[in-house]
Amino acid sequence: MRKQEVKVVDRRTFVKASVGALAGTLLANRLNPALAQGALEGEDLANLEKGLRQVLGKGFRDLTVSPQVRLVAPTIAESGANVPVEIEANLPADQVKAIHCFSDKNANPLLFSVILNGILPYYATRVRVAETAPVRAVVETKDGRLLLASQSVRVTVGGCG
Amino acid sequence: MSINILVRFTPARPKAGEEVRIQVVVQHPMEPGTRRDASGNLIPANYINDVVVTMDGQPIAQVKPGPGTSANPLFAFKMKATKSGQVKVTCKDLNGQTGERTADLTLA
Repeated sequence: MRKQEVKVVDRRTFVKASVGALAGTLLANRLNPALAQGALEGEDLANLEKGLRQVLGKGFRDLTVSPQVRLVAPTIAESGANVPVEIEANLPADQVKAIHCFSDKNANPLLFSVILNGILPYYATRVRVAETAPVRAVVETKDGRLLLASQSVRVTVGGCG
Repeated sequence: MSINILVRFTPARPKAGEEVRIQVVVQHPMEPGTRRDASGNLIPANYINDVVVTMDGQPIAQVKPGPGTSANPLFAFKMKATKSGQVKVTCKDLNGQTGERTADLTLA
């Protein structure tokens, strides 16, 4: 009799706990867009962090995901040696100081930096991506904000070897 | 031998106040320093690490490409065409070679 009671309680707590955990993860994903973005294919935050520190002196946590930054890159690139990337910021021209671009798994995560001086916040180029990884556009504004947009690029043939 | 640069404006003759795209293509192998030749030796890095664009002597953009920029790289910028002027692009690679090209932007 006693044994049975224990079992029943066990199952209830189990069900309750799992439902709670599931709701918790869903909620967390919805509340924190940066966390939801963390599910990008092939990301390597440790390597990215290294590049960010070197170039900006700031880490991944200092970046804010912003819908004002538009990053256009192919989702699948046949050759990593030549990936067209287009970055545009929906901000007044005099607010943008620089545009930086990173790729998580490149030996040197910084792809390029552009310092803009009064022209429209737009930049297009072709980059090398070593292997399937997110490409990240970081727009640096004059008041020191760092706005981020990321997109994962799947690479069939690597571009750095 | 200096580096060959091509500059193009789209539209070629913008109206005043219109957005014009400045497209720069540089002919350069952009060796990243990680590739090997046929006998397995590392090819030394030689990429363009500095591109400066000026308009009538005023710097409008400076690009610092890293080894992660493709061979024969393309750089494109956008600006509001307010007046005619001379756009000058200069670049420098790791071997110290330089290239320079000027193009005249004329309003329609």
